Amino acid sequence: MSSLIAILRKRKSFQTFLFLSPSLVVVLIFLVIPMFIVLAYSFAGRDTYGRVVPGFTLDNYNSLFRPLYVPIFLNSFKIAFYTTLISLALAYPVAYFIAFRAKRFASVLLLLIIIPFWTNFLVRMSAWVVLLNRNGLINSLLQALNIINEPLRLLGTYGAVLVGLLYAFLPSAIFPIYASLESIDPSLLEAARDLGASPFRAFLKITLPLSLPGLIAAILFVFVPSIGVFVIPAILGGGKNILIGNLIVTLYLEFRNIPFGSAVSVVLLLFVMVGIAFYMRGLRAAEEMRS
Amino acid sequence: MSIRIAQVQKNPMRTILVRIQNIIGTQFVTALTILAYLFLFTPLIILIIYSFNASHSTAVWSGFSINWYGVLFKDRYIFNALRNSLIVAGSAALISTVLGTFAALVLVRRQFKGKAIFSTLMLSPLVLPEIVLGVAFLVFMVFLNIRLGYFSLIMAHIILTLPYSTLIVRASANGLDRALEEAAADLGADEVKVFRYITLPLLVSGIMAAFLLTFTISLDDFVMSMFTAGVGTTTLPLQIFSLLKVGITPEINALGTVLIIFNVALVLLIGGQQLRRVMGGAAA
Repeated sequence: MSSLIAILRKRKSFQTFLFLSPSLVVVLIFLVIPMFIVLAYSFAGRDTYGRVVPGFTLDNYNSLFRPLYVPIFLNSFKIAFYTTLISLALAYPVAYFIAFRAKRFASVLLLLIIIPFWTNFLVRMSAWVVLLNRNGLINSLLQALNIINEPLRLLGTYGAVLVGLLYAFLPSAIFPIYASLESIDPSLLEAARDLGASPFRAFLKITLPLSLPGLIAAILFVFVPSIGVFVIPAILGGGKNILIGNLIVTLYLEFRNIPFGSAVSVVLLLFVMVGIAFYMRGLRAAEEMRS
Repeated sequence: MSIRIAQVQKNPMRTILVRIQNIIGTQFVTALTILAYLFLFTPLIILIIYSFNASHSTAVWSGFSINWYGVLFKDRYIFNALRNSLIVAGSAALISTVLGTFAALVLVRRQFKGKAIFSTLMLSPLVLPEIVLGVAFLVFMVFLNIRLGYFSLIMAHIILTLPYSTLIVRASANGLDRALEEAAADLGADEVKVFRYITLPLLVSGIMAAFLLTFTISLDDFVMSMFTAGVGTTTLPLQIFSLLKVGITPEINALGTVLIIFNVALVLLIGGQQLRRVMGGAAA
């Protein structure tokens, strides 16, 4: 022990290595190597028993363009896009309200958002099953008010998946937007108003541009998890509205088609990386606009 | 306010426009905020109410009852799943926090070759789709012929939570006043002592926060667990999922209610300080 300490004292680089190596080893072994195996498998073949046969083929990637799979990709993109758009439209006013209007209740309102955010994901989704069921609360309510005669099919629809996604990721959009709004210097807005700008103009010219980094982060926090989502379509989509996430799970766990499942995973990864690249560019553009 | 705008802008049309914009600005924002909070809380409140439903189906209300809590507390599957979840979350959070703390200290204090690559690698699970992480982990376990169980679950959860523990401890290490450590060193404390008596105590709140967050993330995780749990190591979210697939019963509502109450208690515990300040302000 004492000799170890002596080494620690003498060699800073060794100390750096010592502090770093446990997490480095864990990340290399359990993240980097598995990712490379998936990449390698996406080019591999399959024997009649479904076992992976090492090799190099582009068959798996070619199968992606089959008419069965193209709609799944488009659907995932579409629903992730709508989720992001609606989340932002709802999250921005909420963040704005908390940052500028709520005054001393701001911290309470923020804490309130943490409650659904921290509640178990599966519990949150089962709450929506209670609401959207054939005999669920929404149908009962509509029937009691004589708006409809027959219960509507709400569960297992595209709309149900969209509502589930919004419910899951709305808090993730509120937090970053609030953080960027909250850091705006109020004297900038006062100056704009003193110079005769209407509140709306002040918002367009000052608040909105200064909150862009938060807005862009919110896009990333909502879009990335929505495009790879699995649980929500599985529970609320009734197995009918298949998205990329469901496709991957089905290919791996049910069809045991690991090479094709790997190819789909690699493509999903590429989508996300393109998203992140846009995020970086957007952030840089926002920085430049500010200066 | 509107008087001044009217003076500045003579055009009456513009004045009306500005007034409409102001109304939209205030009313619209307030309305959307109320809508968002209703959207976020209605499902949870309905879930809690329906957990006290006597009926066997979740849909029809047939009177108040706490029967389903009895069913829940006697459910061995739920109990085992909860135990598994606590074992996995406890171990994963502990290891992840220790690894994250060391990594964070190095990232804040030292310059070394490949630092950018290292931090990108470590933080990448934050943005990578969890389903891909899960698939990769499963493939790797199969590749090595390792049986799925506690080990695979815990390792997978460490990968998932390591970015969070690193980021939180890094943030608190960044805010640490280096002068305190230098003062201790000047007074003759060696590096180990400085770390033990100065650095570590100053980082304690950050480390605690990291543990709490990683524990929560691990407890809540479904996707990674679906790929890495073995026979007999079903975690709570996996158990809820299989219950949901069979069809929703009030038992899930009862379980959800227990989890929500636990959650509210945790939030109040952490936010209680702020809440008291607000209430104090309201009273004054």
